[in-house]
Amino acid sequence: MTSSLGDVSVCLQRCSCCTDMAVDITLLFKASVKTVKTRNKAIGIGFDSTKDEIFKRSRPKSGFSAKAKEVITNITKLKDFLLQHRKDYVSAGSLISSDLTRMTDNERDQIDQDAQIFMRTCSEAIRQLRNEAVKQVSSAQIKEHRGAVLDLIEVYLRGVCKLYSEQRAIRVKRMVDKKRLSRLAPEHHGKVAKTPVVEPMEEKTVKEESSEKSVAEVVGNPVNLWEEGRVEDELSPEEIQMFEQENQRLVSEMNSLVDEVRQIEGKVVEISRLQEIFAEKVLQQETEIDGIHQLVVGATENVKEGNEDIREAIKNNAGFRVWILFFLVMCSFSLLFLDWYDS
Amino acid sequence: MAASVREKQTVALKRMLNFNAPPLKNTAAEPVWKVLIYDRFGQDIISPLLSVKELRDMGITLHLLLHSDRDPIPDVPAIYFVMPTEENIDRICQDLRNQLYESYCLNFISAISRSKLEDIASAALAANAVTQVTKVYDQYLNFITLEDDMFTLCHQNKELISYHAINRPDIKDTDMEAIMDTIVDSLFCFFVTLGAVPIIRCPRGNAAEMVAVKLDKKLRENLRDARNSLFTGDNMAAGQFSFQRPLFVLADRNVDMATPLHHTWTYQALIHDVLDYQLNRVVMEEGAGGEPSPAGARPKKKNRKTYDLTGADKFWQKHKGSPFPEVAESVQEELDTYRAQEDEVKHLKSIMGLEGEDEGAISMLSDNTAKLTSAVSSLPELLEKKRLIDLHTNVATAVLDHIKSRKLDVYFEYEEKLMSKSTLDKSLLDIISDPDAGTPEDKMRLFLIYYITAQQAPSESDLEQYKTALLDAGCDLSPLNYIKQWKAFTKMAATPANYVNSGVKPMGLFSRVMNSGSQFVMEGVKNLVLKQHNLPVTRILDNLMEMKSNPETDDYRYFDPKMLRGSESSIPRNKNPFQEAIVFVVGGGNYIEYQNLVDYAKFKQGKKVVYGCSELSNAAQFTKQLSQLGQK
Repeated sequence: MTSSLGDVSVCLQRCSCCTDMAVDITLLFKASVKTVKTRNKAIGIGFDSTKDEIFKRSRPKSGFSAKAKEVITNITKLKDFLLQHRKDYVSAGSLISSDLTRMTDNERDQIDQDAQIFMRTCSEAIRQLRNEAVKQVSSAQIKEHRGAVLDLIEVYLRGVCKLYSEQRAIRVKRMVDKKRLSRLAPEHHGKVAKTPVVEPMEEKTVKEESSEKSVAEVVGNPVNLWEEGRVEDELSPEEIQMFEQENQRLVSEMNSLVDEVRQIEGKVVEISRLQEIFAEKVLQQETEIDGIHQLVVGATENVKEGNEDIREAIKNNAGFRVWILFFLVMCSFSLLFLDWYDS
Repeated sequence: MAASVREKQTVALKRMLNFNAPPLKNTAAEPVWKVLIYDRFGQDIISPLLSVKELRDMGITLHLLLHSDRDPIPDVPAIYFVMPTEENIDRICQDLRNQLYESYCLNFISAISRSKLEDIASAALAANAVTQVTKVYDQYLNFITLEDDMFTLCHQNKELISYHAINRPDIKDTDMEAIMDTIVDSLFCFFVTLGAVPIIRCPRGNAAEMVAVKLDKKLRENLRDARNSLFTGDNMAAGQFSFQRPLFVLADRNVDMATPLHHTWTYQALIHDVLDYQLNRVVMEEGAGGEPSPAGARPKKKNRKTYDLTGADKFWQKHKGSPFPEVAESVQEELDTYRAQEDEVKHLKSIMGLEGEDEGAISMLSDNTAKLTSAVSSLPELLEKKRLIDLHTNVATAVLDHIKSRKLDVYFEYEEKLMSKSTLDKSLLDIISDPDAGTPEDKMRLFLIYYITAQQAPSESDLEQYKTALLDAGCDLSPLNYIKQWKAFTKMAATPANYVNSGVKPMGLFSRVMNSGSQFVMEGVKNLVLKQHNLPVTRILDNLMEMKSNPETDDYRYFDPKMLRGSESSIPRNKNPFQEAIVFVVGGGNYIEYQNLVDYAKFKQGKKVVYGCSELSNAAQFTKQLSQLGQK
C-alpha cells in the first residue's frame, strides 16, 4: 500500500517542530493516585490529609521570590506603558497627523523622564535584592539559584530598556530631519522669487555657521561680485544674465552644501550611537577600576603600617642593645668593686 | 526527515524545559525560572545538544544530578528528566517527602511502567504532595544524538551492551534478553522522535536479527493499539508528508571487524582515536609535552583543558571529515585571515588618531565612522573566531604530536594497502619489530587487520614468527585468540569481508614543499590523499538502498511493521530505491564508518543517511574488549 503512494511526486514536508512526541500520562498518574487511595482505605491505612494540606498552603512564601516577582511585574508594567504609547510617540515625523493622536514634545519629554526614573529604580531594586540574597542565605545552591534569577531579571530589564532607547533614537532622528526640512524651506523660497541680495547673504551666513571653512572662500567671490554690481543702479541685460548665472551657481552650491550637511548629521547620529556603546563599556569597567582602587588604597595602608612597624622594631633593637651594654658595664664595675673590697 | 534528528531532539528537549508547552517566539517575555534535575542518562542526552548558556536563556537557574545532595529551594518549580529505574523512583519519592521544591514536573526518558507510577503515587499521597506533582510525561528520548546524522544509544553503562557483552561465551539467555530489550527500547524511542515507521532489513543468524525481530514486534504492537499509538494523529500528519518511508538497516559488528581497529586519517576520527573524546567534548592536558623532565625534578603541573566541539563551530563542521593535512592548512589559512582582520582594526585605530588633527577632512571621517561602527560590532565575532582558532590549533597540535611519535601515517598507509590487497612494500615483520614505530597496541592492531584481511591464514611457522615479534614488542596476544575463533566462524558462514576499491596515493615531495610554509611542520609525515573507497557497511547500505542484487545482501530479512501480517520472506515488496536510510550497527560503531557514510551520502546527492550504533568505541577500547573475549 505504501509503495504505490511512493510513486506520487507530491512531497509535502512541513516542519515538524510543532508536534509533541512526548506522551502526557498525568491522567494515568492521577488514576494511579486514586487506585492507591482506595487500596489504602481498603487496607485501613489512615492519614489526616485535610489539615496538613491547609497548613501547607499557608506556608509563608519566602521574601526573595515575592520581591523578585514584584520587580518583574513592575518591568512588565513599564514595557506595556512604552508599547502603548509607542505609536503616538513615534509619529513625530508626519506633519499631517490628526490632533487627537498627536503628542506634544512636553509629553514626550515627560515619558522619557518617567521611563528613565522607572528604569533606574528597577535596577536599584535588583541591586538591593542581590545584596540581600548574598547576605542572607547559607546554602550554595540557593545562592546560585538566586544569582541566576537576578541575572534573568536584569536581562529582561535590558530588553525593555532597549525598546525605550530605540524609540528615543527614532524620535531624535525625526527631530533632526524636521529641523533640516525647516531650514531648507526659506532657501527654496529665495531661489524662486529672486528676492534681493540680502536673503542670499543671510543664507550664506547661516550656511557658513554649519559648514567647513573651505566653503567660505567659495562664498567670498560672489559677495565681491555682488558688491561690484551694486555700484551701477541700472542692470544691463548682460549683467542680468550674469546675475542669473550667479544665482544658478549659488543655488547649485547651496544644494551640494545641503547634501554634505545632511550626510554629516547622519554621521553625527552614528557617532552618538557609538558613544553610547563606549559609555556602556566604560561604565562596565568602572566597577572593576573601583575594586582595583580599593585594593591599591589597602595596599598603601599596609605598606605604611609595615614601615611603622619596622621603625618600632629598629628602635626596640637599639634600645635593647643599650640596655645590654649598660648591664654589662655595671656588672664589670661591680666585679671590680667586689674585687677591690675583698682584697 | 525534513529536520534532522538532532534538531528534533533539541526541539523536544526545549519543549520539555518549557513545561511541555511550545516555546514562545516573543523575545521580551517575562522570565520564568525553574530548576532542572537529571540523572546521568539525562545528562548524557542533554549535554551534546544544549549548552549551559542556552539552559540559562530558557530560565533554568540550577541544574543538578538526581543523586546528589540537594537543598530545599521553595517556590521554584522543578523539572525532572530521569530514567524510570528503581533507584531514581526511590529518590524522587524521597524528594517528595522532603518537600524540596514547589511543584514537580516529571519527565521520564523512556516509558514508565504502571507499578512504578503507583509507587510514586503512594509516596506523593503519603507526603500530601499530590497537587504538587503537576505533570508526568513519557518523553521517549532514550538515545544520544551526537551529530546531525549520528546517534548512539548510551554512554553511561556502555559495557552492558558492548561487543564484549553480546559475544562473550558465558552469556546467559536472560542477560541477552535484557541487552536486546535495552537496545530495542532506545531504537523505539528513536523512531518515535523521528516520527516515522521504517522498513527494517537485517542479516540472518546474529544479534542484529534478534534486535530486528523485537523491534518489529514492538512497532507493530504500538501501531495496532489505536488508542495510544504514537505514530498516528498529529505526529504523522505534520512530520510525514513525504510518502517515502526510511530504510532501517541493522548490521552486526561481526560483518566487519577490521574497521574498528583501523588507523585513520580524518580529523574527527583521529581525535576519537588519539585523544580523550566523548560526547563532543575533548579533554586534553595542556603544557609542554615534548621535553622530558630532568631526573629528580618535580614534573611540571599540567592543567587539563576541555574543549567542546559543537555544531556552531563552522570550522569544525567543515573540516571534521577532511584528511589531517588539509585541516592543518585550513587552520593556517584561518589564522592568516584572522590576523588580517585584526590588523585592519588596529590600522583603523591609527587612522582615527590622525584624523583628529586634520580639520578639513570630515568627509573622510564619515567614512571611518562607518568603518568604526562595523569594527566595533564585529569585535565579538573576531574574538569568538580567535577562540575557535586557538582551540583547533591546540587540538591539531596534540594530534600531530601523537602522529609523529607513533608514526601513525605509516600504519595508515600499510593498513590501507592490506585492506585493498595491493602490493606491500614493507614486510609486516619489519614494522612490528621496528622499535620506535608506535605503541604495542598499534602493532597489535596492525597484525589483527593483517590476520582478518588475509585470504588464507598464514602458515604456522609464519604465525610463530609474528607471535614472537609481537611478544618482543610487548603486545598482549589474547585478542588474537578471539580473532582466530571469529575467523573460523565467519569462514563457515562463507561471507568474506571485502575491502576492495580502497587505495591510497602518497604525495611525497611536492606536498612537503607546499607544507614548508605552514606552521605545522609536517616533515617526515607523509601527505596522504584518500581515494574514495567503501567500507563493507557502506556497501551493504548501497545495495539495499538501490535495490541492487548482491549475494551478500540478498539473504537479508525484510520486516514491515505496517503490514498486517509478518512474513518470513526476504523479498521486499517495495521495489523503488529508498531516499532515506538509517544504518545501525549492533555491537559498537566508530567515526570511520560514520565518515564513510557521510562521504557516500554526499556522493549520491539527494540521499540522507543517518548512522547509529549501540555504543561508540575507539580502537583502544575495542582491542581491550577483544582481549577480554580472548582470555576466556
